[in-house]
Amino acid sequence: MTGSWSRSCAAFLGLAVAGCWNDQAVLAPHGPHAVEIAQLAWLLFAVGTAVLVLVVLALWLAIRGGPAIRSRLAGERTVVAGGLVFPAITLTGLLVYDVAAMRADLRSSGGDVERIEVVGEQWWWRVAYAGRDGRPFASANEIRIPVDRAVEFSLASADVIHSFWVPSLAGKVDMIPGRTTRLRVMAERQGVYRGQCAEYCGGPHALMAMRIIAMPADEFDAWKVAAAAAAPEPTGETEKRGQSLFLAAGCGACHAVRGTPASGTVGPDLTHIGARRSVGVDTLPMTPANLAWFVADGQHLKPGNTMPQFRIFSGKDLDALAAYLLSLR
Amino acid sequence: MRLRRRQRHVIVAVVATVAGLAAAAFLLAWSGIYNIAASRGHWPVIEWFLAFGMRNSVELRARFVETPPLESPDLYTLGAGHFHSGCAYCHGAPGIPLSPIAQRMLPPPPDLSDATRQWKDRELFWIVKHGIKYTGMPAWVAQRRDDEVWAVAAFLKQLPSLDPQRYRELAFGGLQVAAPGGRDIATADATSTAVGACARCHGGEGRRPASGLVPVLHGQPREFLAAALQAFAGGERESGIMQPAATELTPEAARRVAEFYAGLAQPPAPARSTQANAAAVEKGRALAAEGLPGARIPPCLTCHDSNALAEYPRLAGQNAAYMSGRLRRWKSGIDAKTETDAIMAPIARLLSEQQIDEVGAYFATLAPTAAGGAPR
Repeated sequence: MTGSWSRSCAAFLGLAVAGCWNDQAVLAPHGPHAVEIAQLAWLLFAVGTAVLVLVVLALWLAIRGGPAIRSRLAGERTVVAGGLVFPAITLTGLLVYDVAAMRADLRSSGGDVERIEVVGEQWWWRVAYAGRDGRPFASANEIRIPVDRAVEFSLASADVIHSFWVPSLAGKVDMIPGRTTRLRVMAERQGVYRGQCAEYCGGPHALMAMRIIAMPADEFDAWKVAAAAAAPEPTGETEKRGQSLFLAAGCGACHAVRGTPASGTVGPDLTHIGARRSVGVDTLPMTPANLAWFVADGQHLKPGNTMPQFRIFSGKDLDALAAYLLSLR
Repeated sequence: MRLRRRQRHVIVAVVATVAGLAAAAFLLAWSGIYNIAASRGHWPVIEWFLAFGMRNSVELRARFVETPPLESPDLYTLGAGHFHSGCAYCHGAPGIPLSPIAQRMLPPPPDLSDATRQWKDRELFWIVKHGIKYTGMPAWVAQRRDDEVWAVAAFLKQLPSLDPQRYRELAFGGLQVAAPGGRDIATADATSTAVGACARCHGGEGRRPASGLVPVLHGQPREFLAAALQAFAGGERESGIMQPAATELTPEAARRVAEFYAGLAQPPAPARSTQANAAAVEKGRALAAEGLPGARIPPCLTCHDSNALAEYPRLAGQNAAYMSGRLRRWKSGIDAKTETDAIMAPIARLLSEQQIDEVGAYFATLAPTAAGGAPR
């Protein structure tokens, strides 16, 4: 009994600690800003641990120590030194370090900066990159950034307070209606980082996550040119049928696919949805079946999301639609 | 506490009387002595007692019903259309005699050209909505469609002043029913009064619906019309007027009538609906063409112009009163069961009362496009 209990404890602790080293973790920093936060966290853990040891030691002495030690512990000098002077100095020191580190996070790093606008919406991310000619182009729900280049996010909200948090890259910044907040990050290695809305924003808040994909700077520049372009015309018969269904069913009232009459701005831009990795804002992997599921029965997949369910489509219609959407790469 | 003897006697006597009466009532029912025949009628005193109870019950229960304005011709014309198919058989109508069969019900259904004068508007509404126990008066099929019940109440208010000619105008909406030949009468099942005719309310070749509360079906895609009839027949769409009408149609008949209306050209709207407030129409146009992305309202025309799926209705030239009523029903949670309702209801919920009126006014002024929907 005791054995299995401790084994479960160990397993739980193991899982908890393992959770600190994946792609969404403060303790697994992959950029200068995240490193500062991680250092701050470690410093706080260390100081906290030291204080805890001191307190436990004092407690032990107060119970087990000789009369001389006990009377000294009970003296006014000990209370003033340990209860007022020590915390005041320690906490002030930590505060100064903290503020200095956080200020560095918000300071402009100058030089070549990639600017990306992200607007939090119930319950997805509207993304706009600065195009080559200075004209922004729209994307959604998945953000690509160059490695080793400063990225400045300007963050806003379309409805309620959201919070933009990619722990492995930077601290958490709220997206507040009517204001624009800024966040600078820099990814040190290529890879996929997971982020999440970190402020409860209603219904499917828990399913409002995102992927940030850091790619080598030259690849990123090439990708941006492709991503700014219009969607490819469908070639296969199924894809063509999918496109005509997409347009006739009115998907374009809310969604835009550049290069087609679909130009809605209510919902996520779908110009290159086929290149994204997930369906329903990081709810399920991008597969034809999951896409079809979201279109026809999205309220079960992501309850409360604002897209109406299109149960009017037959299975064949859904296959064609999914094929078309996946061809938008 | 001990009761005095006298008090004990009183209690015993009351209990014994109640038990005795209950036993007697049970024996009466068990023995079959009571004559249940409608042919025999009630004793006058019983008849008075039942009518007295019925009147008081209706008065009490209708007391807190709020009466909307009932003078609109749209409202009572719609009521007339339903009255003819749903009520006239039992209650008669100007120019239509009471059915002798219905007259042998107990109590016999009253001739409403006179009886409605005894009731307040809200009481007529209550009776039409809830029906009356033990009389054969049924409740309204769609209990949430108070708007339809009010249409019938509005008509009942008009009924006493109608002559047969005016009644026909209202209930038939100008539909001319050819007098059937003797052979037709002798061999066909159809009734010459065209009780079930869609065109009485919805209009037909060259005729718009008689009431603005009734949708224009001319030129709608046949898939859309057939799906609507199926939804009414299956009870997925609630309507005390359309559910009974659609239930009578076989699937084949529903398909044919959908085909018929899909092929009709929409007659131009009467002048009164084109005189809508220009500012409201312009706002409606902006909403229909561009939507309101900030409020998450998509543009109506993406799904409701002539290129959209055949499952979607075309709205150009639709009656404004019908459209705003439908949008309000979606908004209030009625009509949310069909596949297309699942798309439209969340959008309608985003519209304000004012936007609903504006968008209805805009589509009413829009010239209809060519008949028939785009092929799938």
